[in-house]
Amino acid sequence: MKHSFSDLFLKPDLFFQDLVTKKESLGRPALIILAAGIAAAVYAYLVVGLTARMIAGIMPGMETIIILSTAIGALFSTFVFWILWAGVIFALSWVFKGKGSFKRTMEIVGYGYLPQIFGILITCIVAFFYIPHVHVPELTAAAVQDPQVIQETTKALMHDPAMLVLTQITAVVSIAFFLLSANMWIFGLKHARTISLRDAAICVGVPVVGYSIYILSMMTVI
Amino acid sequence: MKKILFIPIIALCLFLGTMTIAASAYVTPESIVAAGRVYVSSVTYDPTVFFTDDVGTVIFEVTNGNTDQGVVVNHATLSETNHNIRLTSGTYDYSSNIGPGKTQTFTFSVKADGRDGTYYPTFSLSLRDADNLWYKTMVQIDNTPLVVTILDKPDAFTQGRKKTMNVQVANPRKNDVYSLLLEISGTGITSTPSKIFIGELVANANKTINVAITPDQPTTLEITVYYANGDNIHKVTTELPIVFGTDKKQANPVVSNIQVKSDNGIYHVTGDVTNAGLETANAVMVTTLSPAVPQDPYRTYVVGALKPDDFGSFEVTFFAQNGSSIPIQLSYKDADGNIITSTYDVTLSSLPTSSQKSDLPILPIVVVVIIVGVFAGGWVIYLRRNKK
Repeated sequence: MKHSFSDLFLKPDLFFQDLVTKKESLGRPALIILAAGIAAAVYAYLVVGLTARMIAGIMPGMETIIILSTAIGALFSTFVFWILWAGVIFALSWVFKGKGSFKRTMEIVGYGYLPQIFGILITCIVAFFYIPHVHVPELTAAAVQDPQVIQETTKALMHDPAMLVLTQITAVVSIAFFLLSANMWIFGLKHARTISLRDAAICVGVPVVGYSIYILSMMTVI
Repeated sequence: MKKILFIPIIALCLFLGTMTIAASAYVTPESIVAAGRVYVSSVTYDPTVFFTDDVGTVIFEVTNGNTDQGVVVNHATLSETNHNIRLTSGTYDYSSNIGPGKTQTFTFSVKADGRDGTYYPTFSLSLRDADNLWYKTMVQIDNTPLVVTILDKPDAFTQGRKKTMNVQVANPRKNDVYSLLLEISGTGITSTPSKIFIGELVANANKTINVAITPDQPTTLEITVYYANGDNIHKVTTELPIVFGTDKKQANPVVSNIQVKSDNGIYHVTGDVTNAGLETANAVMVTTLSPAVPQDPYRTYVVGALKPDDFGSFEVTFFAQNGSSIPIQLSYKDADGNIITSTYDVTLSSLPTSSQKSDLPILPIVVVVIIVGVFAGGWVIYLRRNKK
């Protein structure tokens, strides 16, 4: 029985049950990760543009380099996160004597990344709306001599009202779609590692809760 | 030999005799009466009053008052007993006829060698058919120069600032002087203009000149007036020490009512600027200097013109390290466009900043907690049902 991508959202258990009957393949998951990476790069391009404007007075001409390097970094870090996340839940499932290859785990993690593409696209749309309203403070060459001024300037950018709203919306949307991914990963891990649903929920739930707490702590720090 | 000497003696006697006969032949009672109607109708000295060592001219106009008889003049000269007025041109040593009712001019060049005083040169004119005509004139030598007075000057000069001075040139002499030229000079002095042509200045009169000067260093300002007395050029100089100091009348913007707020790391400094001086402060501007980093929306605040006792409010925004002292620069332009700046320090040490407030984003946190709770709760319920 063949399941479509819509089953991934509506019947993830059946989708992954069917998936593990097939030969392991990272082709489609890699494409999903690539799409998520591109979306993340677009978002990074939008947000880092603000930082580039902030330091434009220090190193004129560096803005393009900073924006491009950050966007490319966002693209590659999505792939790195894919591998790391698969490694974490693979290691946790090992505690529950899970079976199945790491490649299979990477495959189900890749599929589970699909909701996050939509999440990042939503944050991009929000960013398009809010970024023009962000007041970007500018650093001068003289200010570079004082790290405290740089810190205060960066803090001022992050505390801009429009920037704060953007950050909070991004955090909420990211966590919501991350949990949607977690939902898929639980079912996927159950079949990929041949463990119970409860064990899979623990293996995925622990890092998910940890990640959510991290996001919350970042919001309170800002 | 005796014959040779005898001939010239005879000729000389004949010549002298002829001349005597000729001269005496025209002296008649009528010619004496006619000579009595010859008079000096005008005497003009130029200059009218001399400085010592001045040269000039004197013009005598001799008029024949007869209506039907001309007179013949042989010789005209001018002399002064003590040579205080010295004749530098020659005498008139030729005969000429002054027709009835006509006037003849005799011009002499003279030099004033005497000291201050009044002198009486005598004009003499030899008439062929009568005695000489003597005419005594009066001329003065006066060494009183023109007077240059600084009527008004700034209370103090400042380096590079243009200031206007009021200079008066007065003529206390008894005669008019001409071609007055006022010249401003001095090391490091820029004057606008540096030379001013005044022209004629009549006796007992004065003229007032405005001069703008810009000193670059403490120095001595020289105001020189050149003038012509007849054909003689004289000058008079007045010196004015230029010492830099504080202008007591200048505008004096004072900053007060300083209030500092911090909004997400951006400091907002508000306050008032009051002009405590006696002159208008134009284009008053307020900004911050390093280590502050000016930021929008008020990197620089233009208060505008402040008349004496006027005040205006300002606001500047900047980044700075908390606890530091920030210099606020206040600048304005005076009436001549000179920019004057001053700085005031504002300490940011004990200021509470809004960034220090614990404004937790409650709503997003609650939303996240609810989402995570729903997710976790849903799975717990699902697992329990699935277990059963």
